[in-house]
Amino acid sequence: MPLDTSIYPLALLRLDGRRWNELRRIHAQVSVQAAADGSSYLEMGNTRVICVVLGPAEGKDKGQRGAREGEAKVGVEIAVAGFSGMERRRRVGNKRTSEMQHCLSTAFSSLLFTHLYPHSTISISIHILSQDGSLLAACLNAATLALIDAGIPMSDYLTACTVASSASSSSSDTATSDPLLDLNGLEEQELPFLTIGAVGEKVSVLMLETRVRMERVEGMLAVGVEGCKRVRAILDGVVRTYEKKFG
Amino acid sequence: MPREVEVSVNERAFIQQALQENVRLDGRAFDAFRPLELTFGDEYGVADVQLGKTRVIARISVDVTAPLPERKFDGIFQIVAEFSPMASPAFEVGRPTDAEVILSRILEKAIRRSNALDTESLCIIAGLKCFALRADVHIIDHDGGLIDASCIAVMAALQHFRRPDVVVEGEKATILSVREREPIPLSILHQPLCVTFSCYEDGERILIDANLAEEQVRQEEVIVTMNRHGEVCQVAKYGGATVEPLALLNCINMASQKVKEISKFIQTKLEEDAKKRDAGGLMAELSAENER
Amino acid sequence: MEYFSLKRSSALDQGQTNLSSKVYVRSTKSGKVQKIVRELYLRRDIPCSSSLCRACLEIAPTDYSKKVAPFVLSDTPAGSKNFPNGQYLVPDTNAFLTGMDLFEVETAFHDVVVLQTVLEEVKNQSLPLYHRLIALTKNEGKRFYVFFNEFRQETYVIRNAGETINDRNDRAVRKAVLWYNHHLSEAVAARSKKQQRIPSVVMITDDRDNLQKAKSDGIPALSLSEFVSGLENADELLDMISAAQERREVRSSKAEVFYPEYFTMSKMMTGVKAGTLHQGIFNVSPYNYLEGSIHVPAFDKSLLILGRENSNRAVSGDVVVVEVLPKDQWKAPSTKIIEEETLNKNDNPEVEDGEDVISERERRALQEEVKRVHGQSAEGRPQPTARVVGIIKRNWRQYVGHIDRDSVRSTSKSSRQQQMVFLVPMDKRIPKIRIRTRQAGELLGQRVLATIDSWERDSRYPVGHFVRSLGELESKGAETEALLLEWDVQYRPFPKIVLDCLPPEGHEWKVPASLDDPGWRGRKDLRDLLVCSIDPPGCVDIDDALHARKLPNGNFEVGVHIADVSHFVKPNNAMDKEASQRGTTVYLVDKRIDMLPMLLGTDLCSLKPYVERYAFTVLWEITTNADIVSVDFTKSVIRSREAFSYEQAQIRIDDESQQDGLTNGMRTLMMLSKKLRQKRYDAGALNLASPEVKVQTESETSDPVDVQTKRLLDTNSLVEEFMLLANISVAGKNYEAFPQTALLRRHGAPPKTNFEELGNQLKVKKGLEIRTDSSKALADSLDTCVDHKEPFFNTLVRIMATRCMMSAEYFCAGSQAYPEFRHYGLASEIYTHFTSPIRRYADLEAHRQLAAAIDYEPLDPSLHSKAKLEGICKNINMRHRNAQMAGRASIEYYVGQALKGKDIKEEGFIMKIFSNGFVVFVPRFGVESLIRLRDLATPEPEAEFDAENYVLKVKGDINRSVELFEKVTVRITDEIEESTGKRKVKLTLV
Repeated sequence: MPLDTSIYPLALLRLDGRRWNELRRIHAQVSVQAAADGSSYLEMGNTRVICVVLGPAEGKDKGQRGAREGEAKVGVEIAVAGFSGMERRRRVGNKRTSEMQHCLSTAFSSLLFTHLYPHSTISISIHILSQDGSLLAACLNAATLALIDAGIPMSDYLTACTVASSASSSSSDTATSDPLLDLNGLEEQELPFLTIGAVGEKVSVLMLETRVRMERVEGMLAVGVEGCKRVRAILDGVVRTYEKKFG
Repeated sequence: MPREVEVSVNERAFIQQALQENVRLDGRAFDAFRPLELTFGDEYGVADVQLGKTRVIARISVDVTAPLPERKFDGIFQIVAEFSPMASPAFEVGRPTDAEVILSRILEKAIRRSNALDTESLCIIAGLKCFALRADVHIIDHDGGLIDASCIAVMAALQHFRRPDVVVEGEKATILSVREREPIPLSILHQPLCVTFSCYEDGERILIDANLAEEQVRQEEVIVTMNRHGEVCQVAKYGGATVEPLALLNCINMASQKVKEISKFIQTKLEEDAKKRDAGGLMAELSAENER
Repeated sequence: MEYFSLKRSSALDQGQTNLSSKVYVRSTKSGKVQKIVRELYLRRDIPCSSSLCRACLEIAPTDYSKKVAPFVLSDTPAGSKNFPNGQYLVPDTNAFLTGMDLFEVETAFHDVVVLQTVLEEVKNQSLPLYHRLIALTKNEGKRFYVFFNEFRQETYVIRNAGETINDRNDRAVRKAVLWYNHHLSEAVAARSKKQQRIPSVVMITDDRDNLQKAKSDGIPALSLSEFVSGLENADELLDMISAAQERREVRSSKAEVFYPEYFTMSKMMTGVKAGTLHQGIFNVSPYNYLEGSIHVPAFDKSLLILGRENSNRAVSGDVVVVEVLPKDQWKAPSTKIIEEETLNKNDNPEVEDGEDVISERERRALQEEVKRVHGQSAEGRPQPTARVVGIIKRNWRQYVGHIDRDSVRSTSKSSRQQQMVFLVPMDKRIPKIRIRTRQAGELLGQRVLATIDSWERDSRYPVGHFVRSLGELESKGAETEALLLEWDVQYRPFPKIVLDCLPPEGHEWKVPASLDDPGWRGRKDLRDLLVCSIDPPGCVDIDDALHARKLPNGNFEVGVHIADVSHFVKPNNAMDKEASQRGTTVYLVDKRIDMLPMLLGTDLCSLKPYVERYAFTVLWEITTNADIVSVDFTKSVIRSREAFSYEQAQIRIDDESQQDGLTNGMRTLMMLSKKLRQKRYDAGALNLASPEVKVQTESETSDPVDVQTKRLLDTNSLVEEFMLLANISVAGKNYEAFPQTALLRRHGAPPKTNFEELGNQLKVKKGLEIRTDSSKALADSLDTCVDHKEPFFNTLVRIMATRCMMSAEYFCAGSQAYPEFRHYGLASEIYTHFTSPIRRYADLEAHRQLAAAIDYEPLDPSLHSKAKLEGICKNINMRHRNAQMAGRASIEYYVGQALKGKDIKEEGFIMKIFSNGFVVFVPRFGVESLIRLRDLATPEPEAEFDAENYVLKVKGDINRSVELFEKVTVRITDEIEESTGKRKVKLTLV
């Protein structure tokens, strides 16, 4: 049996050798797809996604369903590659992907200045190439980059990360539990965690799907907002280097 | 395709104006639920929830099947939420809207994934036979707050339900009818309940249990699922307007309070129902385990 | 724009030196192979945690609340001969696996560095040892530090091509030790120029290859025993090492031992028919889980089945087919206590590849046995020994137990991960069960119900699944439910359908006033008789009442009136079916599990005082010498005048001033009962004893407060005597009417072999003799078993004799020849149960038969069918036995609770003796308990067992010998029994 997350309190080290407040290696690129209006490629550890933005363009169906009067509709499509997980699968979690699509769509609808593009559609397609935790966060980050690449005006970066609550020696004791930033797949399976997407200091997306004591949420949120800021700095760096080269 | 009748511009402005003056159209406080009614059917496992004008019925049914090959030691439990056109003209059969997907997804996460029901106890013979439990959620009337009402209905129905007893001899399992053997309550590990918060003015004002009109005007919803032991089972905020992290913590604290109240309410209703079923003290007469 | 190809981007990352990845291949259960890729972040800020080092203080990590982990390793570690400057120890995996006991010794082994590599390997090998190691790291006094060498850049080791994983890990350990030594000397140098005392970091390994490589690399390394011999208290610790090494299991040699395959059904059937194979019920010894026995008709003595391989996945209670082994493989039954818990406690719950089904330790435990048997083959009486070749019918039921804490990987309650854990059943004869569950964290400390699903050939333990949790361990509710489930007592409410079978008037029901009512048909009006009932205090289900009056001719008329349950419970309706399944009412200390609904049991049928009730009456005419002149049976209506408790009745009889008819009637009964009793003893009835105690509970909370032995009054035997008489009379009548189908009760004469051991014990120890030719001879010889110095000795012998008896059983008259009807214990030719129809189903059937015998009503067809009756007998025999066991278990639980936290000295007697322990019986509390040698002192003292003379000489510091029947003083405390989770009385020798 390999070691699991319960070793954290022994030396304040996580399963992959990180401290509680360290992000995994983030590597990103923009404009990876010449044919698209905007595109990005993002790696957070071993989670890899590619995102393509088309639009704003005239919507396919006249009614613009799902969008409000006088605003652009944000359509999202997420495709999970069969080889992305540990086991090769044909179709992965249908409801889960449609929930993520809904989440991305509502998050960016209010972030983008959609009122500038009435009667049009902005479509985001994301391909998940490899999964190793923090999937929703990676999708949000990749989409932000691709939308910037497409030049669609928005108020600020929407950046996301995950935070877990570490296993403490005694399960009822709340004091000894550290929030852990940016989880890999193994940690996600063992620990209660949340995904947070922030715009500046404010929270746009918050998804918590595992049971956790309410007292622990505060610390997780604080670390999450801090983590989002750090992700923002990294993504901003990516955008600015690209600007310098080609701007 | 039919769609929800949108509130008029005037009405929208009116609601928003009123909220700015800290008034809700139906006169409720910001943190108040609409009147909650809960009745149980004659059969075990039928719960009828009325939250204001919203009405949801949940019904539990059980069957014996073979367990899933990758989950030999578990029973099967699924929640099926269906929007029928009866509840609102915006609902259409066979074409799940976003709201419908979200509802079933939230119920899935709140109840199934949080292990509210101990599915391992539904296993009869590992790999061969297990109980398959199904919770059907029917929306009868839609006036907002569907998620909260559905969750209450499903949890109440689960606690109310009794499954038939089973006798296992070697590889043979015999299901005993209700007349033959008193049926057994399900093993419920905790009772998650949802509280939906609606945000206005960029998270400045937050309401509990918005009705349909308020829902249409809101900028964003935050769905918090908790149990009465103070555990957060699920939180979902799908983007929308941004909110201060502190406001979110406030929501969680408030939800914890509300969930305790609703849990207690369900409990008293269950006790009332048990008393009603036990007319004339019959259960005491049938008890086999007695003080010496 | 090929500029931005994906390929290039990953090439860029290669420059980052601090990122590595771990790739490994794992095969899943279904046989698929998964490739797992994980990131590894190598860093330079993992401290050495030595208080000597200043540099590391700066890089010490802080947690979320800004707290710095304190440094663990002492700046002045203890030294030894080889390392006078002090040392830090770095043991390798095998050192922990073999020597965990040593590392736990408080006085030695401080300042130990546990490497991540080692920790992971220990976890792979044995989860319980891993838990012990983690506990050590939390023990501040021991100063154990976990160093994550795989995450530190300098100590990270990449596996070379062609290198085995073990070699790679050994290299990692050496590299870490090298780094530590280097790092410490730097640290000390930085601290002060003059400092010369640099502790050595010493690798502890027993791997010769590893030692050699370490020496050639200049790394300080010692073997475990080398290191220990340099310590002060070396001798004692060295003993522990040798013990540890002996116990060490060879894991690497993956012997593919599987359980033998079962024979096909047809092969077994023909074998059984031909007499080459035998069929019977497999039983496991409660003292030795590796020893089973099976009784087959072809052999007088039970066949012995020794060891896992021979018992071949049979679980106690299964119907199995066995093959007798050749005579040279016959063994003697064990004289040693072998418990699964102590032998296999380090097993991993996850099924491993190539797992040995028989653990090395088990093999050794049995081998010792064999050696011993061979040593004294002249006297050791080998028994026919057999092996299981197939299973006819599994009798797996639901088992109550608790989750083994050490087998749980993650105790976190939020974890949704499925893990394999061990369920340790309460019944020691049942092996541990592997359970796959998602709620291991929640189930810890709970009473858990589980079933066995299968037992494959390649798994040492059976696999099952969790059913439900009964509640917290030791809580009254959970423990009561547990024992009811263990003994298969149906305690759930009666089904609703039963309601339809109850009289519609409910509690308002009365004996009809009009004598013309159909209820009065064929009933005698006995309301004028002075009837009373005598029962234990507080009894509400009154089955029987009595009366006696003088007849004009000088004889007496005596009546026994039994509740007329058959009037209310008609054959084959739902209530009857329920009652026949339940078979009997079960009495626990604080509870009664009824066979019939309360309305009948405690009201309408119960012969309560002052009200009219239907009864079934047996009337005798008896002479003053207690000779029976005539007997008559009739349905009747009576009105009991009073319900006495035994004590009240006794007081009333003894009080001369009471001269009313009722009291005088009781005096008559008393007089007659004594004469009847004497007659019975003259005929050879046995007076046996079983340890009976009564638990006194506080009335409000029913918490136990005291334990008392039961007191018997004359009135107890008064009632008993007339009930026996009624039963015998009814048995005769029923048999006369239904020679094929009468439901009777017999008690077989015990086979001589049953008494062999007791007889021998008495002969050797006390020079007494037991004769078993007849019950009369036995009764007389038991009377002679007296030790004048020890009045209790006789009772002890009677208790032990009781255990040699056969158990009485219900049967159907047609299934036995008349001589076999005999009730050995009561010395009666024929016997049945008639007097307690409220709480025994057999009595109800007897009522129905008697009613038909006296032409009161026709007999239901189901009572004509021999096959059906035999089915009923089988069930009620089993229920009866289970009810007794459940009652005893309940008393055991309450005695345990009553003694909780107490510490009493009491007298006890040794009633069984093994080569590594003995059983002591304490009459005051009616408890018997095992005292093992290892309970006497640690380490377990040596002892010499003289099987012929039943003497166990304990050596060492204890230096005393104990022998059978010896009176000893024991200290009584309570403890939670590790293996079953029950609170039990613990005895220690004073």
